[in-house]
Amino acid sequence: MMSQRRGIHLDQSELLCTKGCGFYGNNAWQGLCSKCWREEYQREKQKQIQEDWALAERLQREEEEAYASRQQRTQSQPAIAPFSKFEERKTKEKSSKVNTVTKFFIPSSKTPPKKDAAPLDTQSSPSPSSSASRHSSVDSDHATREFIDFLKPLKSGREIFKQCRAFTEGMVYKRDMGADELSECVQDFYQNLSDRLQTQFKGSSDHVESIMDEVEKYMMTRLYKEVFCPETTDDEKKDLATQKRIRALHWVTIEMLCVPVDEEIPEVSDSVVKAITDVIEMDSKCVPKEKLGCITRCSKHIFNAIKISKKEAASADDFLPTLIYIVLKANPPRLQSNIQYITRFCNPSRIMTGEDGYYFTNLCCAVAFIEKLDGQSLNLSSEDFELYMSGQASPPLPQATGASSSSPGSSALSQVHKRLDLLTGLGERQERVMEKARQMESDLIDWTDEVEQKVHSALESFPPETQITTATTASGTATATAASSAIDSDNVENELLPPPLQPQVFAG
Amino acid sequence: MAAGGAGGGGKTYSFKVVLLGEGCVGKTSLVLRYCENKFNDKHITTLQASFLTKKLNITGKRVNLAIWDTAGQERFHALGPIYYRDSNGAVLVYDITDEDSFQKVKNWVKELRKMLGNEICLCIVGNKIDLDKDRHVSVEEAESYAESVGARHYHTSAKLNKGIEELFLDLCKRMMETAQAEERLKGNGASQSASSRRGVQIVDDEPQATPAGGCCSSG
Repeated sequence: MMSQRRGIHLDQSELLCTKGCGFYGNNAWQGLCSKCWREEYQREKQKQIQEDWALAERLQREEEEAYASRQQRTQSQPAIAPFSKFEERKTKEKSSKVNTVTKFFIPSSKTPPKKDAAPLDTQSSPSPSSSASRHSSVDSDHATREFIDFLKPLKSGREIFKQCRAFTEGMVYKRDMGADELSECVQDFYQNLSDRLQTQFKGSSDHVESIMDEVEKYMMTRLYKEVFCPETTDDEKKDLATQKRIRALHWVTIEMLCVPVDEEIPEVSDSVVKAITDVIEMDSKCVPKEKLGCITRCSKHIFNAIKISKKEAASADDFLPTLIYIVLKANPPRLQSNIQYITRFCNPSRIMTGEDGYYFTNLCCAVAFIEKLDGQSLNLSSEDFELYMSGQASPPLPQATGASSSSPGSSALSQVHKRLDLLTGLGERQERVMEKARQMESDLIDWTDEVEQKVHSALESFPPETQITTATTASGTATATAASSAIDSDNVENELLPPPLQPQVFAG
Repeated sequence: MAAGGAGGGGKTYSFKVVLLGEGCVGKTSLVLRYCENKFNDKHITTLQASFLTKKLNITGKRVNLAIWDTAGQERFHALGPIYYRDSNGAVLVYDITDEDSFQKVKNWVKELRKMLGNEICLCIVGNKIDLDKDRHVSVEEAESYAESVGARHYHTSAKLNKGIEELFLDLCKRMMETAQAEERLKGNGASQSASSRRGVQIVDDEPQATPAGGCCSSG
């Protein structure tokens, strides 16, 4: 082909497509033919789009970071935020809602200042909320899939799913409604659905209950962001107030609350730690039922601690004070919001009669008690109470051992005292050792002087020839030094001793 | 609401009963004796005695009883309303050797009647009748008081296992009567819920018109 073209006496290579496909190229297409140009151009365009995307994302991230640093947020969140934002938008679009994105963020961007106000809680508060926001969209997809899988074998599964989805999506439009109205909507929906299921599966209320659990799980995972601590309520303010209150009550001891738990026993303190972890974990769950599960687990650990300490089954008289103590120690993040959320959106039958409900009620009681706590309820005079609250004084440490089992602050203090005592004790011993050492040193010097003197006197009292005789005996004992042989020479009987055995070689 | 849940199936009732009374009157012993037939058991297998359930069958009807123990210390008195909210019955326990604990019961009764009206079934229980020689609350006084406030009075001993079975059985029967009366009163309530059900059905039709929204999640 090439040879053919060469035959035309023109510099064809200039005219041909630079890609070498054999077609003519064009300057307007950078020397490419139309086909190659289109290919190249598409790739270019694609690359450009991708670059733009990357740039946009980077800009967004930078913006977020700038915003975050303005808000003095913890570091973990900004890195996650764009991703979750993107994911959220995706899910939003999926459910064909458009104008939601900006509104959606207001609660989450409002949370950071709250965290600033709670520097003491750093290990607990940032992680659950950030993980919640990161997982929420992934979770909701996951929840949908699980829900569908659960409903598949059911005869009316399809219909249940449709209803739940319709209701959940409808809730998005109702965001501006008050929290109580939202709660009423959800509760009405639960009630209606369970009534219908009740007639459908005649009698088997366990079955209905398990379906309702799944319904709740699906709906609340998807609605969590919108209905947890909504702007229309003062939940957040209450959260802050409670958190502040609990922090101000840091000095409350086990003795003041009459908690029947002995933290000196390792197994008990272990249970206490687990109970604290569980009650803090509550904030990281999305579904009311799972939150209740955390409270129940916390309660079980408390019962265990009481049982080991008291050697009998725990009654409510023991349980409530201990739970109060645990809440004071844990200072769970967003406690009020969580309680409100559970009250509003949990299946009512569970809160009202079940075991979970009982523990939840106790937690509500504990919070109510902490809010209203005064000197009288801790067996303190109101003056003392005020002093402790304002931080002007701290309660006296009962005893060295008692203090270690009270609040973390005083236990640390008593530990410091113990260490100090130990240190002064060690110092004294050191002194004594040094003194003894010095004495020993001087003793040693005295002793060598003495020995020298004795040697000299011995040398003076005996003439040199005796030294020779002793030297011969010394050659027998082999190891004796000149000085010791001089001492040996005092022993006159030495000469009476039999001569040392000489090694003899026997032939054969 | 709890009664509504009970009426839904038409066969199983679930009742919530709160246990009120001063500390040390034997609330916990009473309920442990009833649910697990234990008293001062050295070999503890029960982890806790503050929330206990019992399943009963009364005249062919199934009853799930949930008994909520409450902290009896004076300092927790103000928390009472949180505990007894939505309960169907209350067992008010006093110690017959302790006049003060009977006074506390009177306070509780006043409060419960004020907050919950006559919907709640009250039982006043004089516990520790095995210590009758030290009795400080007279039988007549206690029984006449119970009658005056529309409550029943019972004499029990958790130690000797006396009167406890009767107490809870009687309470259940009364709660069932109350629940049935309520159901009859709410005869119109059923049609109301039916109409609101229809409302949900209308919503039901909407997603069928716009299935595009969720097709990604199901496919």
